[in-house]
Amino acid sequence: MVVVKKRRVRNNRVTLSRPPPPQMSGTPTTPRSKTTFNPTTPPATSRVQSSAIHSSPHYTTTRRHSLYGVEDRVVIDPGSRIWKIGFSGEGKPRDVFYSDGRNGQPLWGLSRASDAAERAEEDRLLEIKVERCLRSVFHDSLLTDPKARKVIIVEHPLLPLHIKEMIARILFENLQVPSVSFASSHLLSLFAVGRITGLVLDCGHLESVTLPIFAARPLFPQIRTTPLAGSRFSSHLRNLLIFFGTYLPPTSPGPSGSLPAASRSVRVPPEILTDAVIEEVKTRCCFVGEALSTILDARENTPGFDDQSTDMDFPPSSDATPSESDYSYAGHDSVMSSVQSSVQDSSEFSVISHPRAPDDPRRGGGGGGGGSGENQLQALASMYKRHSTATDLKMSVTPPASSAGLGNGTLIIPGWIRERTAEVLFEGGDVDESSIAEIILDTLLKVPVDLRKTLASTILISGGTSMLPGFIPRLYSEIIRAIQPPPPPTRPPKPYNTVQHGHEKSSPPQYDRYATLRQLIPYFAVINNPSPEPPLSDRAKANSGKAPAFSPACMAWVGGSLAGALKTGGVEVSREKWDEADPHRDDDDMDMDLSPSKPGGHGHDLQQHTPRNILPDWTRIPLPSGAPPVIMITQSQSQQVASPTATAVGA
Amino acid sequence: MASSVLYHCPCLSTSPIPPPPHLPSSSHSFHPLHTLFFCEECDAVRCNRCVSVEVSGYYCPNCLFEVPSASVRAEKNRCARNCFMCPNCRNTLSVVPSDPPDAGDGRIVPISTVGEPPFFLYCSHCRWDSAEVGITFEKPTGLAAQLQKSEDSAPDSLEFERLKEHFEPLIRASSLSSSSSAVPSSAAHSHHLHSTSITAAASAALARDIPGVGKYNPLTRSGRGNKDRSANKDEMPDYKSRMDIITASKHGSGGGVTDIEFMSHLEKRSRCRYSRTAVGLQLGSIITEQPLRIPLHSKRSKRCPACTHILIKPEQKAQSVRYKIKLVAANYLPAITIALPHQVEKFGHASAEAAKRPYGKAAAPTEEEKEAMGGLVAGETYPFHLSLTNPLYDPIQVKLSVQRMHVAAPSSSDHSAAQEKARRPPFVVSLSTTPFSVAAFAEAWEYDDDDDILDDDELEARLSGREKEPKTKTKTVGVLEKRANVTIVGGEVMLRKEARGNVKFNMLVSYTYRSDDPSPEGNIGSPSKSKVPETKTFAFYTVVELGTIIPREESRIDIES
Repeated sequence: MVVVKKRRVRNNRVTLSRPPPPQMSGTPTTPRSKTTFNPTTPPATSRVQSSAIHSSPHYTTTRRHSLYGVEDRVVIDPGSRIWKIGFSGEGKPRDVFYSDGRNGQPLWGLSRASDAAERAEEDRLLEIKVERCLRSVFHDSLLTDPKARKVIIVEHPLLPLHIKEMIARILFENLQVPSVSFASSHLLSLFAVGRITGLVLDCGHLESVTLPIFAARPLFPQIRTTPLAGSRFSSHLRNLLIFFGTYLPPTSPGPSGSLPAASRSVRVPPEILTDAVIEEVKTRCCFVGEALSTILDARENTPGFDDQSTDMDFPPSSDATPSESDYSYAGHDSVMSSVQSSVQDSSEFSVISHPRAPDDPRRGGGGGGGGSGENQLQALASMYKRHSTATDLKMSVTPPASSAGLGNGTLIIPGWIRERTAEVLFEGGDVDESSIAEIILDTLLKVPVDLRKTLASTILISGGTSMLPGFIPRLYSEIIRAIQPPPPPTRPPKPYNTVQHGHEKSSPPQYDRYATLRQLIPYFAVINNPSPEPPLSDRAKANSGKAPAFSPACMAWVGGSLAGALKTGGVEVSREKWDEADPHRDDDDMDMDLSPSKPGGHGHDLQQHTPRNILPDWTRIPLPSGAPPVIMITQSQSQQVASPTATAVGA
Repeated sequence: MASSVLYHCPCLSTSPIPPPPHLPSSSHSFHPLHTLFFCEECDAVRCNRCVSVEVSGYYCPNCLFEVPSASVRAEKNRCARNCFMCPNCRNTLSVVPSDPPDAGDGRIVPISTVGEPPFFLYCSHCRWDSAEVGITFEKPTGLAAQLQKSEDSAPDSLEFERLKEHFEPLIRASSLSSSSSAVPSSAAHSHHLHSTSITAAASAALARDIPGVGKYNPLTRSGRGNKDRSANKDEMPDYKSRMDIITASKHGSGGGVTDIEFMSHLEKRSRCRYSRTAVGLQLGSIITEQPLRIPLHSKRSKRCPACTHILIKPEQKAQSVRYKIKLVAANYLPAITIALPHQVEKFGHASAEAAKRPYGKAAAPTEEEKEAMGGLVAGETYPFHLSLTNPLYDPIQVKLSVQRMHVAAPSSSDHSAAQEKARRPPFVVSLSTTPFSVAAFAEAWEYDDDDDILDDDELEARLSGREKEPKTKTKTVGVLEKRANVTIVGGEVMLRKEARGNVKFNMLVSYTYRSDDPSPEGNIGSPSKSKVPETKTFAFYTVVELGTIIPREESRIDIES
């Protein structure tokens, strides 16, 4: 919590004091009027209807082709949270499912237990879940015989090797598929847009990863990653809702049921925010707004910004956002403060209902509520609130078990939360957690100089989190913003990458990290940008927004399907090879005879699961001469890791 | 609270000994008896996690039409006849005709019995109808075929075909070049020379790509070095999208400006797009307002993973619910059920008890009290009853033994082993280990009629007897009762004062049976089978769960009173 607060406040200061980036100064200012609201219904069906006249001859050939055959492979895109599966040669996955149910945890995370016994248990649970998922893929979703189907696994480049081994083991031994091939998800995403060169960003659930690919060769050493992705977004959303959301408990029969909504509103109890609710809010209500600095910069140019801000923000407040008048946050409402006894709560609500200038951090209610961190968080919230025109939403949620009322409670999601939760993905400055724009630039810094222009102009965004409306345009503007020269040192605070040092150290010349990339600005283009800015160069014009309209989340799967249909993609590992490489096939029985005291299940994990090097992986590609082969390093490491556990078992 | 007996299937680990029951992963190794199979060849229990599954037939759950497997793939595993689901509520849709033309003169106008031509699909549950989304049909039959046309020409499949065309020449070129040259990387090197060098190189790259190739081709790096020189050339013809993302976003589906506008002004209660759920988003345009064809079901036969003998095989016909082959474990292993007498008293016969009891406690206990009384309070000792039912036609000798869980606990690092020691077994189970017999199963009719009544009487008698037993300290451990093919044995669990968590222990059940006739058990190759085929022993593990321990502090003293 504290970390989140700090970071957000840091960003707050920076964005406030940032001078206008030159090319952005012309953007339209505040009154984003609501009259532009143009409800566009999704025309999916109408499009389908209109194009339904003739079916493509190619499809019929595909169909005849695969009538009896089983040459269509099964393409599986196993995510830690969502799996996409289907047959190759089809344009969309047959099934998309949560790996562990809607409320379930992701299958794997970014860390493993350090204790050997715990880790073994973790692995066993993981294997059980993965096995369940894989079996359901064949038996429940695709209704096909696994023994007759070759499988393409869409493999994330940073998928841990032990999980990869596990997937292969289950496929070969439990399901007995004839062959498995692993294909890099980033490369497959590029295939899906008809290219073999590009800089691919995959923003998934656990992490965002950029990987440059040239001529279908992933440049793995230049891979860059950050944990700012879907799960971070979810946890941030949850925190924001707990702090700033409002909850109306279900009406209970009796006198209290007739209370107006305003007096029933309470703080959001954390237990109603189940993963499913968060997921619902995230996917149905959230979007990514324009960069805040853009708005602020534009505003700073208008005189009298501070005085008029309130008027400018909500000119038609009463009619355009009726939701605000339906219920008041009512910080000074006495009934409500009796409901919530805590000072903190009431101060929070009063802050919300009386937004003040964001640069006044020591304000808010009784002041005794939270520390300065909380106040700063509130300052940030009020600033976001003032600059957001998104409507507040009500959502029906299941009340906690202890509540007395009937029916469902109501969760009120402030509009600014819907719009600004995604800010967490674009806040850079942390060494370990670069912003998404920064990892793209970092990758570009690392690639060979003569590839930079090519890659900068073919940026491809894939992954589920990037499906947030507005994500891609915002990311583009963040890239451009990050690459701008840092402000002259006369401006007090730093750009984000030096902001951690605070105010006092301002004298040394600033580290201009991306100076060498600045000449690339006209070339930057996101090829699946749905609403690109006016291109600055021919190359950008030729590329940006020219990708086919596959949804970013599906791209890797579609690429896998394409690779399967073209009979390419990935080195196949056949079952024979797997069986041959089984290191324990012969001495399994002997082992069991020799050590009868071995506890159940454990011998399995420690012995049988030693990695076999039969699976191709980029970490096992020998490096050019001079450096020791990675495979040796990993082996020696694994030996080092293995030996203490072995002794522990013996002891 | 729930007490249960689950059976172990050793498929998840290599050793036949089950994992200690306190591990969360152990619950996946144990299954209810009715879900298990028994392979006669291997003489082993098989579960649904390890059997290999084959599809023996597809059928539509709605019209029960058996779909030939050849057309299943093309029809995308969905019914190709007239079965549809409502896109809103997943109810089955029905085909309804339009209103007959309102001709005042006569009712003869709708000549056909099927109704008037513009047909549409109607949901009787939520009243959705397909006319809402502009889908109507001329004929009431073959609707799926009419709809599938639009599915086939969905934008994504057209785009996909185009992509395939785009890549196909490259692939072909690459296969040619790689066939002409033995070393795959030679294409990459020779691409300066060839006239079609660019496409050849690109396609070769495409064919070879993917991590791991480098393992076989150490020259990859140098190949890349060559490539760098041609960096600014487009090594591949540009792909021209059928519908690019800009165009798509103008229709409001690509996450562009229109989408943001739409999202930011979502009304409070607006039914925003159906597709905006995580899964819907990922599926793209699958989730639309179209009627959904009903997914097919499959009939599956299952085989033993080790010997590939069929364990279960359904009859082919979709209407039939019978099996041709059915080797379920319930026919081989004794069924074990567990009862906690103090719970039976408190729950099953709560009212009767309340009426019968002479002393106090006439009032029916509240839910809370029941909870407390039925639960296992730390520091107490509870009897439990295991009733074993023999499914075999021969009598069996059963031996029960409780696995000492904490001795068999995982030999982890010393640190956690010490922890294990610290929280030493929270309970002690005492169970007689002397073998006892369970009579053979006879056809049910032999003792069906009078046994039912007798059973109840017996139960009552036993229960009332049990009521006094704790005071008199009569036998609670050992064989309590034998009747028909059921034997009830008693055990006792003593909870320690500081006990927490669940009372759950592994129990090894080994039973010896005599098979004098060679069918059907005659061909069982039992591991412990001696040369004389007279008696055979089979052993399996179960996990017995008695319930959750109620911590001492909250325990109620009034249980004894």
